[in-house]
Amino acid sequence: MPDEPEKKDDVVKVNFDFRRELAEKIEGNLASFCYQCGACVGDCPATMYSDTFNPREIMLKVLYGLGDELLGEDSVMWECTNCYNCHERCPQEVKPVEVIISLKNMLADRGIYPDPVAKVIKTFEETGRTTPLSGAVDKQRERFGLPPLSVVPMDEISLLIEPAPPEGEDN
Amino acid sequence: MKRYAFFPGCLIPTRHPAMEFAIRHTLPKLGIEIVDLEGTSCCPDPIYFKSKDKMSWLAVAARNLTLAEEQGLDIFTNCSGCTATLSETYHLLEDMSLREKVNQRLKRIGREYKGTSKIRHIVTLLRDVAGYDAIRESVVRPLDGLKVAIHYGCHLLKPSRIMQVDDPNDPSVMERLVEALGAVPVRHRNWYLCCGKACQREDIPSNMMHDLLGAVQEEEADILGLICPTCFGQFDHGQMKVSKQFGEDFHTPPIYYFQLLAFAQGVPYDKLGLERQRFKPECLRQFETAAAAASSSETE
Repeated sequence: MPDEPEKKDDVVKVNFDFRRELAEKIEGNLASFCYQCGACVGDCPATMYSDTFNPREIMLKVLYGLGDELLGEDSVMWECTNCYNCHERCPQEVKPVEVIISLKNMLADRGIYPDPVAKVIKTFEETGRTTPLSGAVDKQRERFGLPPLSVVPMDEISLLIEPAPPEGEDN
Repeated sequence: MKRYAFFPGCLIPTRHPAMEFAIRHTLPKLGIEIVDLEGTSCCPDPIYFKSKDKMSWLAVAARNLTLAEEQGLDIFTNCSGCTATLSETYHLLEDMSLREKVNQRLKRIGREYKGTSKIRHIVTLLRDVAGYDAIRESVVRPLDGLKVAIHYGCHLLKPSRIMQVDDPNDPSVMERLVEALGAVPVRHRNWYLCCGKACQREDIPSNMMHDLLGAVQEEEADILGLICPTCFGQFDHGQMKVSKQFGEDFHTPPIYYFQLLAFAQGVPYDKLGLERQRFKPECLRQFETAAAAASSSETE
């Protein structure tokens, strides 16, 4: 009987738990259609200016299920400029930027955001706006004869952004 | 008058009220009636809150759209980011199973998204509803010979299947809008480059802006015409920062298109809030004096 083939450590083991978790995000499963052509790279401004950001590589790591490399504290995901060039160029409609946003959603689930991002999110969740109102804002608006800004009904916003219960919404 | 619901967003009404003033001043002159919506929130932004939880982001965006649906009106936006969020929401919610999920959320607040209000970026109102000729006719102070470099920014154009504003590889709407004021549009060699604002690694946007500002400066334009309030921040405050950082003298004053339009329609320079900018488009004042001289010679 021939010996069993020797197991090698450098064989990629796809982490399907990571891929399943990603697939549950809205448009998180689109990377499955990626055939690694690299059309997303040529027009990517972050790739042009960064030695670490490459959307094709990110899609490959998603396909391999390399969640640990993608979801660390120093995740490269935040280098994305959200320019949507990759969305425009992808022949497979993978929308790499949306996959990256889904990965950011997974980072957020783990409580990982850069401080400036966390700050804007907090302002929105507390005021319903990303740039809050103030006396100075009111004064400037008055100067230009503009109507006062309408009040954001925070009761509605707070209810909407609460996560759905695991058993689903009541119908 | 054609009526459209106005979605002001956050950045323009709070940080740049002068831009909102210009919009409210110019659109009615072009046959467009602005209908204010009560109770709008942040769109929410397509960079930060969307990164936290896309489902909640969709639900809040859909709520904003229901406010226009209640009025039976299409909605127009003045910020490329708001356009991105609302247009993408409209597009995604054509998928009925996702719409059902979002409507389950909206049920919590007694609302339902129906998909009956379309989203229009404000430049498409100028191009398709008012038309370039009406804009030309509304100008009382033609900006003859004013060289305007154009920067479109990213979200106005892409993804084009969702935004449906213009050809992202060779857009023309901003050029035609600038020409309608009598000015000369100029495309700089980095016109396609992102302003980098959303990127969270500091050196990347600085280097992008350095190359962008260099390309704009090469054109020796009088001003830089913009349509996105986020790009505006990068080209105004950011221009000062990048000049200092790289020890270079970048100095092309940016202007939001509607302030330029309002000026051409006769609003005095001093009423446009331009003195609040880091780089002031003082070169516009020559047209004020020219128009005044022309009208006084007519009355003689």
